[in-house]
Amino acid sequence: MEWFDALVQGVLLGGMYAQYALGMALMFGVMRIVNISHGDLVILLSLIGISIATAWGLGPLPVLILLVPLAVLMGWVLQKAVLNRVVGSDPLPSLIATFGLSIALQNLMLQIWSANSRSLPGHGIESQSIEIGGIYIGLLPLIVLAVATGLTWGLDLTLKRTRFGRALRAASADVEAAAMTGINPRAVYAMATAAAVGILGFAAVFQALRSTVAPADGPAQLIYAFEAVIIGGMGTVWGAFAGSMVLGISQAIGFRIDPGFGVLAGHIVFLIVLATRPQGLFGKALS
Amino acid sequence: MSAIPYVATEVLEVLVQRQTRSGRIAMTLAVLALIGVAAMPWWASTGTIRSILVLCCYIAVAQMWNLLAGYAGLVSVGQHAFMGAAGYALFVLAQTYGINPFVAVFLSLLVPAALAVPIYLLLHRLDGPYFSIGTWVVAEVFRLTASNLPLVNSGAGMSLRVMKDYSAFERNVAMSLLCAGMLLVTLGGSYWLLRSRFGLALIAMRDNPVAAASQGVNVVKLRFLIYVASAVGCGLAGAIYFMAQLRITPGSAFDPMWANVAIFIVMVGGIGSIEGVLIGSLIFFIADRWFGEYGATYFVVLGLMTLLVALYARTGIWGLISKRWDAPWFPIRRKLVDPNR
Repeated sequence: MEWFDALVQGVLLGGMYAQYALGMALMFGVMRIVNISHGDLVILLSLIGISIATAWGLGPLPVLILLVPLAVLMGWVLQKAVLNRVVGSDPLPSLIATFGLSIALQNLMLQIWSANSRSLPGHGIESQSIEIGGIYIGLLPLIVLAVATGLTWGLDLTLKRTRFGRALRAASADVEAAAMTGINPRAVYAMATAAAVGILGFAAVFQALRSTVAPADGPAQLIYAFEAVIIGGMGTVWGAFAGSMVLGISQAIGFRIDPGFGVLAGHIVFLIVLATRPQGLFGKALS
Repeated sequence: MSAIPYVATEVLEVLVQRQTRSGRIAMTLAVLALIGVAAMPWWASTGTIRSILVLCCYIAVAQMWNLLAGYAGLVSVGQHAFMGAAGYALFVLAQTYGINPFVAVFLSLLVPAALAVPIYLLLHRLDGPYFSIGTWVVAEVFRLTASNLPLVNSGAGMSLRVMKDYSAFERNVAMSLLCAGMLLVTLGGSYWLLRSRFGLALIAMRDNPVAAASQGVNVVKLRFLIYVASAVGCGLAGAIYFMAQLRITPGSAFDPMWANVAIFIVMVGGIGSIEGVLIGSLIFFIADRWFGEYGATYFVVLGLMTLLVALYARTGIWGLISKRWDAPWFPIRRKLVDPNR
């Protein structure tokens, strides 16, 4: 029963990680770029959300409604100002640029919000729980999981069915060929990053609700997103979702074994997957 | 059947010029500087020696990162994993097992070397940018493992109390010699490597790995060797740094700050050149002394500078200088000269 409980908690934790991982999978799939400031953007959005909530006395839902468009705008600006200049076959410039941005953001947040941990007041939502067969399931983690599932489903559908999705997939398969058919890669990239960071707007609100955030927390979120993407297998949105579940379950079981072992358990599962199935659990083997 | 007319081809007597005047001057200065570092106990205070030791560690770590990112195309953000591993190995060997610390410094290098092999075999499966974050995960794994490992006193860290058996002067002599040795191995070793046959292969690989492979360069093997060499170089810097610190904790041993330092130094100084590492290290060292007190603001500026260099000036300061003046400090080119002219 105890282990089943850990499994359930792991799946719920995975819902949180899926919200980080989706954006990373999208950006890497389309541009072959990894944004090292990915986690710092979550924290920045969380801190902005917390400040808005305290200044105007808003609840979590209005904060979410304000934060997601802001995140989309941030993603678009990030693409226009930074990423469009470094996208290319050489991974070095994009890594260095976003690495520098990450250091700058972390320390800027430290200046503005100090090193204290903060959280978003949820007006009781964070402490409610439902009992199912002897296991208490928090209402908030359940909402997080539902939103993560909805986002994954929506993103998958967008990629498969819409004009924008087709343009994205074309650009990720072959940029030059896509450009010849009339797709403007820069515009597609800007929309992809806007969508990726927009999803982080959701992640930011939920992260701040279910736990605390501090300016130095970004790199950990980046690493979780990365591990989820690699475990699940690159190239599929549902793969990133499944990878997040595996990571969440590994950490929850690890925490149950020893509180000092939780995060490490996640890293170890990641390394085992990398050693035994480098294409990821749900990825196609490279020929 | 007519005989193919034989044309006497005149073999030109050419000299291969490998050193320049600027190179000779720089080499003389470098040797003098190295002697100066080795002789620190006789001219510098303990405080100065400590500062210069930190500068030497910056140079060594930055050059190791430069070899990886600038030549092998492996952008690691987790080289501090090997610094911490060697640092811990030194503390365990010297403090727990009572081996002479100055012998243990060298023995501790076996640990990063042994760890680098399986880690590279795992991580090289990751594509470009994902490789980088993979190296970071490995450093995190090391940090968390050290925090849970009773052998290294878990999260509480260790102290190098055996160092009190040596007088301050003896320690200064050892530190100075170790620093000079570290510079000789990391910078001198890189210079020697770049001037050798492997250097040609490395530079070909830096410019275009696919083309280099088609010319017979074993890119896979060379990358692996560079990764291991870089791990050992970082390990040496870590062992020396923590020997001077006398104390090691999981947080300080596996501090991502070192990745920031290496990336800043190499990118601002100029990637793919030894000169760039020296320029970048001096800039960072001076900036750290002058502006370190501003804390977060200073790091915001550092981060933004790294960002701007990546966006607008990828060759860094040395790139701008060498475009203007052709006077390399560490020439690695081969120039053919006709002695008759």
